[in-house]
Amino acid sequence: MAQVRYDCTMQEGQIGEDARARLADGLRDVTERVLGAGADVVSVDFSDIPQGFGFRGGEPSTTSLVRGSIVGGLEQPVRVELMSAICDMWMEISGCTVDELVVTARDA
Amino acid sequence: MPYYRCVVPEGSVPFERRQEVAKAFTDIHCGSTGAPRSFVHVVFDEAPDARFAERYYVDGANRAGRPEELKQALLGDLRGAFASIIGVDEAEVGGRITEGPASWSMEGGMVLPEPGEETEEWYSHGAVAAAGG
Repeated sequence: MAQVRYDCTMQEGQIGEDARARLADGLRDVTERVLGAGADVVSVDFSDIPQGFGFRGGEPSTTSLVRGSIVGGLEQPVRVELMSAICDMWMEISGCTVDELVVTARDA
Repeated sequence: MPYYRCVVPEGSVPFERRQEVAKAFTDIHCGSTGAPRSFVHVVFDEAPDARFAERYYVDGANRAGRPEELKQALLGDLRGAFASIIGVDEAEVGGRITEGPASWSMEGGMVLPEPGEETEEWYSHGAVAAAGG
């Protein structure tokens, strides 16, 4: 069973398959670097919101959501470091802006 | 955050109504809480969710820390607006608002503040985000 799980929800058509593979690798790398958790305990799933089904501020959304769940929980400074590292990695690979990304890291 | 997932039967709500609901939810949430508009996310999900008995369901996730009466009033307003826009009886529209610590979320590169602890910087960042996506 994965100790760290990421559910990534994106707007349809915004991020291609190649980028998804790199993002998944990036999430594993960031998790190992910040938490010391090996890739074997990290799971990553992607899903799309169909065009016209996602809105932000009442307008069609371009925002991706990365929802992390960490068994055992985190101290807040570590949580912030993890979320910040995910933001940086995601923006670099996907090309999105900081305003097009929501990251959560909850205790499980 | 907030994140409102509207569970609806497949093909039951056209795009124009979906956007109308999204705008109404944004108005209601921001009117109730003072949150920046760009922080309100609304998605529609046509996949059946066996957890909910109603045909339509508003599944909300908000920052924790607001009074229960405000949360219930907010949910009532959301369900009412949804039913009115979609054209169904409000009894067909279920709903709930679950909550999580604000400190577990980062949006716009910033950890979300607890309700009532928002700074001017946070509001100004939200205004920028509203223009950009």
